[in-house]
Amino acid sequence: MKNVPTKDILLFRSCLVSVEYPGVEASTKYVFDRLGVDYEISPKQTCCTGLGHYSDVFDQIDTSAIGARNFRIAKDEGRPNLVMMCATCYAINKKSVKLLNKKDDLRNHINQLFDENGLSHLKYEKDDLKPTENIFHVVDILYAKKDEIKKHIKYDLSDYKIATHHGCHYCKVHYEDTIGGVRDPNIMDEIIEECGCRTIGWYDHKRATCGTGFRQRYSNPDLSFTATADKMNAIDDEDVDILVHLCPNCHIQFDRYQHLIAEREGRKFRAIHLNIAQFIALAMGGDFDKVIGVKAHTVPIDSVIKDLKEVGK
Amino acid sequence: MRDDLKVGVFLCECGGNISDIIDLDKVREELDVDFIGQFENLCSLNGRKIIRDAIFDHDLDRVVVAACSPISHEKTFQDYVKPLNPYLMDMANIREQCSWVHDDHDLATQKALTLINASIEKVKQSDAVDPIYCQTPEEVAVIGGGIAGMNAALSLAKQGTKVTLIEQSPSIGGHMAKIGKVFSPVKIAEECGMCLLNPILNELVWNENIEVLTNTKVIEAERRAGTYNLILEKSPRYVDTERCIACGKCAEACEVEVPNDWNDNLSMRKAIYRPFGQSYPEAYVIDMDNCTKCSNCVKACTMKAIKLRGRAERIPLQVGSVVVATGHKLFDMEKRPEYGYTRYDDVITQSELGRITGVNGPTKGKLLKSNGEVPKRVVMIQCVGSRDEKPDGHRYCSKICCTVALKNANIIKHKYPDTDVLICYTDVRTPGMFEKYYKHTQENEVRFLRGRPGEVVRKGDNFIVRTEDTLKGEFVEIEADMVVLSTAMEPSEGTKEIAEILNVGITEDGFIKESHPKIKPVATDVQGIFVCGTAHEPKDITDSIMQATAAAAKVNEYNYGGVEIEPFIAEIDTEKCIVCGDCINRCKYKSMSIQNDQIYIDPMSCTGCGKCLVGCKQRAITVNGNIDEKILSTIKGVLSKKRPGQRMILVFLDNIGYTAADNIGVNRLSYPESIHIIKVISVNRVTPKHIHYALDNGADGVFIGEFPGDLMYDEVERKIQRVKDRIVEMGQNPDRITFSKVYIPYFSGLARKFTEFDAEISQLDGK
Amino acid sequence: MTTQKISDSPIDFAEKIIRDVKNSKEDGVLKCVQCGMCTSTCPAARHSDYNPRDIIERVLEGDETIIEDDCIWNCFYCYTCHSVCPVGNSVCEVNQILKQIAIESGIGYDKLYEYMGFADSYFTAAIGAIPERFFADIDRDVPGWWDFRQNLDEIRKELDLDPPLMPSREVIDEVSTILTITGFKDKIERIRQSEEDENEERTD
Repeated sequence: MKNVPTKDILLFRSCLVSVEYPGVEASTKYVFDRLGVDYEISPKQTCCTGLGHYSDVFDQIDTSAIGARNFRIAKDEGRPNLVMMCATCYAINKKSVKLLNKKDDLRNHINQLFDENGLSHLKYEKDDLKPTENIFHVVDILYAKKDEIKKHIKYDLSDYKIATHHGCHYCKVHYEDTIGGVRDPNIMDEIIEECGCRTIGWYDHKRATCGTGFRQRYSNPDLSFTATADKMNAIDDEDVDILVHLCPNCHIQFDRYQHLIAEREGRKFRAIHLNIAQFIALAMGGDFDKVIGVKAHTVPIDSVIKDLKEVGK
Repeated sequence: MRDDLKVGVFLCECGGNISDIIDLDKVREELDVDFIGQFENLCSLNGRKIIRDAIFDHDLDRVVVAACSPISHEKTFQDYVKPLNPYLMDMANIREQCSWVHDDHDLATQKALTLINASIEKVKQSDAVDPIYCQTPEEVAVIGGGIAGMNAALSLAKQGTKVTLIEQSPSIGGHMAKIGKVFSPVKIAEECGMCLLNPILNELVWNENIEVLTNTKVIEAERRAGTYNLILEKSPRYVDTERCIACGKCAEACEVEVPNDWNDNLSMRKAIYRPFGQSYPEAYVIDMDNCTKCSNCVKACTMKAIKLRGRAERIPLQVGSVVVATGHKLFDMEKRPEYGYTRYDDVITQSELGRITGVNGPTKGKLLKSNGEVPKRVVMIQCVGSRDEKPDGHRYCSKICCTVALKNANIIKHKYPDTDVLICYTDVRTPGMFEKYYKHTQENEVRFLRGRPGEVVRKGDNFIVRTEDTLKGEFVEIEADMVVLSTAMEPSEGTKEIAEILNVGITEDGFIKESHPKIKPVATDVQGIFVCGTAHEPKDITDSIMQATAAAAKVNEYNYGGVEIEPFIAEIDTEKCIVCGDCINRCKYKSMSIQNDQIYIDPMSCTGCGKCLVGCKQRAITVNGNIDEKILSTIKGVLSKKRPGQRMILVFLDNIGYTAADNIGVNRLSYPESIHIIKVISVNRVTPKHIHYALDNGADGVFIGEFPGDLMYDEVERKIQRVKDRIVEMGQNPDRITFSKVYIPYFSGLARKFTEFDAEISQLDGK
Repeated sequence: MTTQKISDSPIDFAEKIIRDVKNSKEDGVLKCVQCGMCTSTCPAARHSDYNPRDIIERVLEGDETIIEDDCIWNCFYCYTCHSVCPVGNSVCEVNQILKQIAIESGIGYDKLYEYMGFADSYFTAAIGAIPERFFADIDRDVPGWWDFRQNLDEIRKELDLDPPLMPSREVIDEVSTILTITGFKDKIERIRQSEEDENEERTD
């Protein structure tokens, strides 16, 4: 397995986390603080371009130039380890690092543009960052610290039926070094086990997309929601109480549109949706409003989690 | 005087391969030698006559053949210069390293001249020496008791050679014993595999020249002058094979049940067991990992054959050659979880299907699902783990899976015509006569779908196979109640282990590598070690047997003909030697030892690298063949006619690097004309003196390449650093020297490095 | 019947895609054997006419009309094909490149009209925000969402987070400059112009 850092981390802000599920950020900080992870957030960091990139508005040069700027900020702050809360930020940034390192033409072109326009301080030098050594998702850090997690668990969530949805842009884009597998992704299942719970493991469409499909959700909602329905039906067939996520975009697709898809399918879906950081924060005793941020959720968390049982009681 | 020697040069046109690029008329004009010959194909028998006649008519003392690479034809021309000593001939490689890598006629012609001049200077330094012959012991070790190892052993034994057959499991027989039915494309029929295997097994058991050691592994190997000293470890069987009559009472008494690995874990066996009905030795064995030592079996055994205590035994074995037949294993299905193998009982492999349909299998030959019913539809998925470059997959085709699927589909159709069988394939590979069997399978109403399924999931009582029917261009979900996966063949653990113990080369996929895939398909890169069967690459039973008998023939060539070794190896002056042992420690190839109070150098393992020379305080060691002088003269020859402004880069490569450089030419890539490759016996023989001389006399750069797998690699790398330091002291630029890894398969990388180094040197000169 | 002329060079199209900076798979597209594993695992193929294998077939045939085919816009960018392709091709990346070719040639402009908000939010706030033109749809489909977004500041405060971050002017200027010098801004203006032209035509 790759070496995962637990210090000199720049926790990379995500646009969707900020405005849709701020509890993911609060929970990540809450869990990181308890696990002794050394991180900071930078106000200078900007969006990865992911949403625009995968709506085909941004091309690679735009995305990589923006990436180069964010990478420079991380380096300058002495926090070269970028840790993402969003799967798409992870995919986008990792690809930019790979391209900037490998494709001399692209790097030289961007650096030249920077030079010619008074942005020389943003220049990216080959191997400034390494894709496998510097670019991570929050789950990677949690996985590296999983032995530590179990020491902080306060509540026993093992009575709930739990399934995982691993975001495509975490698992599949850079499949060569994904922890826990790609064809049957398991990194979150393994982390959840450290919280004293067992997931249902494999289910039909486990590795499939959430259905967002970027432009599909807005321009092609039928296609988008039909794909999501495949997965929601499979999850409901397994009587899942909690679906655990690692990407805010998947989270939106499931949490925000669960009612709508239930109507379309003529079924009732009951699963609630938590980010892995929220799940662990909850198990560690994080407050519903002050840490988990349940007010941002469309499917009410307390529709499933009514009361919490302390471990060993 | 060496300068008075009469030298003849023979130019080969190579049917235009050389003469189309290099202006040989110009070459002839510019050469200053006693005789120049030219022919369209010097390697032909007519070429032999031209060379021999010229040697007689002009009293030539030395010969240079300017033609292809010495790797291709050195042996041929060494023969053609008879009665001249073979080592008084040198080859200038003007094909692979000139006409095939350059297209500028003038520059290529100029370079050809330089290469020929270098050869002339070098050959003048050559002395007549005789190759060394070694005779090896005739005993042979065959490692692996599957169909390949058994056939190799039997063939050797029948030719009168003593063979030890070493098998790590409790019985010989290998995968073929498990296979159930086999088929031959010509007969268009499936027949009992065991019935074909048994006669071979019996013949082998009764042959007095063969000793079978089961439960035995090779754990150490050492080579001395063509003799392999192997250390074997024989694990205890806990059952005396002499006493055991295989009555089975012990197994009846045993209370421990574990999955039966011979049945692919589809049935159970006891902790004391016989692997299969016809296993040899015909005796039970205890699986000590699972035995509770309750002693029930000991009490039940009327022959008093069982002892619950035993220790592994070490057995030394001395042989002249080794045949590696350590076989394959099947792809681990945990690596492709989407097909559900680990989740569902009725998703099985072709190997398991073979056990299920085998009359000696868990269901006595009935095709049954885990619930005891006959499946209504069996879907087979091809290329699982093969032709798949994703992590843990294999890029190669496993070669046998198409025909295995056809065979098993037919077996199902014969017995259960109502069961629908659908094979999902990417390509059906049935070369030669196998195509007829494919047609026969279609006639049997086996169905085919062209598409590579994405996943297998459970829905209610059935599976759903999700795939595209690529011929229709349609995504389909196929219901099935049994799914069979055609899993890739990969090198067995035993194959990987033995490669390391014997230090034989492996391919990038981990199979044992043959020394030449086209013309030396059973030899390995170590003299005296041969390979056969699936340890070499995926193949079927027929091919395994053919390769096994070929390996046996090669072993006997070796046994009857001895081994000829290049004479450029170290020699000890016993008058001067004080047997301090320093050289023994220095030698990376373990070729030196003390025998009868004297240093003995094993001619088969000495490479002539010269490392021992440096440490010998008594100066008692020499390496035959004037190597130092030859290198210096070659350098002189290359640089002698350097024109103003011409860039000259000298590249020193040993046999491996030289082969890689040849491959650049074979693949028609190119590199700058400044590159001049000098072949050396060992890169270690290039000394600071040589490099200094070269840089002082017109060389613009020196490139030294070494194969990282060479035992001298680290040594050479350190040495280059020292050389660079010295060069600085001498006031020269160390950037003019570079050291690089070379690999035979990465010839394109080597070409790129040549080009880059040429550019770097050009920049140095620019500044 | 189609005729393949001796002067035709169908592979040029694939070579053009291989040269694109976004292609991380080197010659993967050339190694395609049409096994269909991409389609076998593709959510869009499961539920629409989109067929990733067919896309590569057409690319290898040199069929450049594919950039005009609406089906290419059905890809989810889920990268499943990319993660399983046995020969190391990535239809997902090829698809992205095809769309950029379509956009470059103006064919794909209309597909981007709705998404211009992503570009705007970058110039005004250096973030990627869901375009406002979708808010009505979201509000219709997701009960309570609008109220939640109105209370976002408060919810964030309760979580001890700053208000949704509006980066400093300096930061916004810097990224605006970057997106201008890469040619992004010009492209967006061209697309916007095209939309306006179309609207005018419609009202005329």
